[in-house]
Amino acid sequence: MLKINQLNLSYSDKNLATVSLSIKQGEQLALFGRSGVGKSTLLKRILNGDPAVTVVTNRLAYISQDPAILPWQSAESNISIGSKLRNEPIDEMKVNRLLLDLELETIRKKTALTLSGGQRARIAIAQALYENAELILLDEPFSGLDRVTQITTKNLCKNLLKGTSVVLVTHDPNHALGWIDYCAFLDESELSSYRRVNEFSNDGALIKALKKNHE
Amino acid sequence: MNNPIRIILVGSSCFFLWWLVVLFTDVPHFILPGPDRVILVLIKKFQLILPHALITGAEIIAGLGLGSIIGFILACTLQQFKTIHKYAMPILIVSQALPVFALAPILMLWLGYGFASKLAMTTLIVFFPVTASTLAGFRNFPESWELTFKAMRPIKRRLFWHIEFPRSIPYTLAGIRIAASVAPIGAIVGEWVGSSTGLGYLMLYANGRGQTDLMFAALLILAFEALLVWGCVNRLTQKVSRYIPH
Repeated sequence: MLKINQLNLSYSDKNLATVSLSIKQGEQLALFGRSGVGKSTLLKRILNGDPAVTVVTNRLAYISQDPAILPWQSAESNISIGSKLRNEPIDEMKVNRLLLDLELETIRKKTALTLSGGQRARIAIAQALYENAELILLDEPFSGLDRVTQITTKNLCKNLLKGTSVVLVTHDPNHALGWIDYCAFLDESELSSYRRVNEFSNDGALIKALKKNHE
Repeated sequence: MNNPIRIILVGSSCFFLWWLVVLFTDVPHFILPGPDRVILVLIKKFQLILPHALITGAEIIAGLGLGSIIGFILACTLQQFKTIHKYAMPILIVSQALPVFALAPILMLWLGYGFASKLAMTTLIVFFPVTASTLAGFRNFPESWELTFKAMRPIKRRLFWHIEFPRSIPYTLAGIRIAASVAPIGAIVGEWVGSSTGLGYLMLYANGRGQTDLMFAALLILAFEALLVWGCVNRLTQKVSRYIPH
């Protein structure tokens, strides 16, 4: 689904790691690392079609901490915005199903400006699902949410993104625990080899591994 | 404290201060007439002032409208066509660097002494803040949005009309708000350079005849018009901002 061959993340005068990775269809990978190691840059390079990146699908979606939700549009219009941008008819049935799946039914007509952070995060997930995205790139998507909303949104991701390839970049291991298959640690010099998230006996072990990587 | 009360409070304080200066100094009334004199002239010569005030008001509103439309269309064109942007920007800068006073005689020569030359002058002053502000709105497009919508494989034109354009509206309105405060300059300069109507003309007329109180009355009406136009634009900006945050 995604293959990256020797992608140098350095920019301007900052030397960063050169990354190689590959993700099969349906595999989900979390990239941990502290701020400034190039996690978000990696996702940008994937989306901007860097020569070192091969993506076998054109059905990509990107969700960030500041999701692209148009504040003047309703929740349902935001979900189907992709169709509007491609001048395609809106798939009303799919919109209705996503509104139900993501528990957005009651706010479907509300303008996004009035919605909470959690509701906006759910609309962003619905946008990606509406696009039938085969590879979803998530850039710290739970960072702006409170603890309870984080857990709810994570559970929705677990159920609805099953079978979809995902690259999640985050500094917080809790964002990946319970739904992501693999994890790797990125620092200024290298990307560690993948490990299954469930290899870590508990949350504490993963956090310890992350801390060790940061030292 | 809401806006109208604040404006009345500030206005009354200014009037009071003005009245005190006149009362406690020996400035002759043909240099600085008191507010009582000015208001009296305003009432007595209202029939004379009103048509001039309406003409200047029309010049300001028409210039602001036309300048805003031109400014906005120009910003959209510059955003869509980078080559035009590269070559047109120096011309736009020069158009603003040249004082409108220097251009006024040329515009009079080309467009005559009527409404058109004042409209052109006001438009010339108004369009640039609108263009600059709208362009800033386009440039200020969040990177996360850019990446998200890029992944949706949009048609460029539709991306512009459905997202970039509505998102830039508050920026355009911020530009129009600045433009509204400078629009009267265009109208007045135009009337000074050559006109037989408008508040600018009336001020020159009054000045030539030593009627300082009439000059001040015209100035007062001009201030009122400027404040009214600015207030309307400000209100519109606030309304739109409720739907599309800056």
